[in-house]
Amino acid sequence: MTDTLLHSALQESVDEVLEKMFFVRSFGDARGATDEREFIAGLSFVGEPSGWLVLCVTDQAARSVASDFLGEDEGGLSEHQIGEVICELANMICGSVLSRVERNATFHLAAPQLLPVASQCPGIPVEGAESHSVEIGNGRLKVLFQTERPAWSSTEKSAS
Amino acid sequence: MAYRVLIVDDSPAMRAFVRRVIQLSGFELSTCFTASNGREALDVLRQEWVDAILTDINMPEVDGEEFLRRLSADELLHSIPVIVISTDATQNRISRLLSLGARGYVTKPFLPEVLRTELEGVLGVPVD
Repeated sequence: MTDTLLHSALQESVDEVLEKMFFVRSFGDARGATDEREFIAGLSFVGEPSGWLVLCVTDQAARSVASDFLGEDEGGLSEHQIGEVICELANMICGSVLSRVERNATFHLAAPQLLPVASQCPGIPVEGAESHSVEIGNGRLKVLFQTERPAWSSTEKSAS
Repeated sequence: MAYRVLIVDDSPAMRAFVRRVIQLSGFELSTCFTASNGREALDVLRQEWVDAILTDINMPEVDGEEFLRRLSADELLHSIPVIVISTDATQNRISRLLSLGARGYVTKPFLPEVLRTELEGVLGVPVD
């Protein structure tokens, strides 16, 4: 799979997960850096190929998507609840991307982990990682996705 | 009619979401049991009867596949319909889970209507 196709898979997965499960629409690519605190979740996956995904969501956007997902007021949510929702968001985006790029493979996704609040979302570019950043109304979301080797779809393999 | 369901997922957020989607879909739940893995789910099922089970795959201790194997091997529990809810949309996984006895498979992300349709199917009742 080319970088362009992988980026498309990342983009489509983010949009689909946000719309279907969080009732949120993205408003196009986010540019530049942010000073806002972020919730950062990461998970690894094992399969052909193995790799990892890191998701960074700015504070206010994280509170908003957690509120939409759980159906509760933002003010009533704890940091722990918001973190759990961001982990689930990372899990769904990762599964969605893998299902798009390797439909006939089998992957095992590790449990997503929330990184300490003091962490900083990795800058772009991270060597070899595909990234996608979007504005989601009251903040931004950034996904970094990397495999140990280029991801190739089985159909492309057989066609090549 | 009110139903008794068991939601099995290691993510508390996902358990809360699934429960909310079921209720918003028009299903009346008399009781909604939850478990964070297959072992806890089996503990619940040894004490409580449920009309349907919704389970994740990737969970600690006893994962979704092993949970299905144990259910299928249990004379009392094997008839309870199970719907798998997972991010894994790969054909290998879907085929394996269905062969292990899952009656439905919902891929995350999903629209609420999809889960509703699957539940209607396994419970055998349309919901207004």
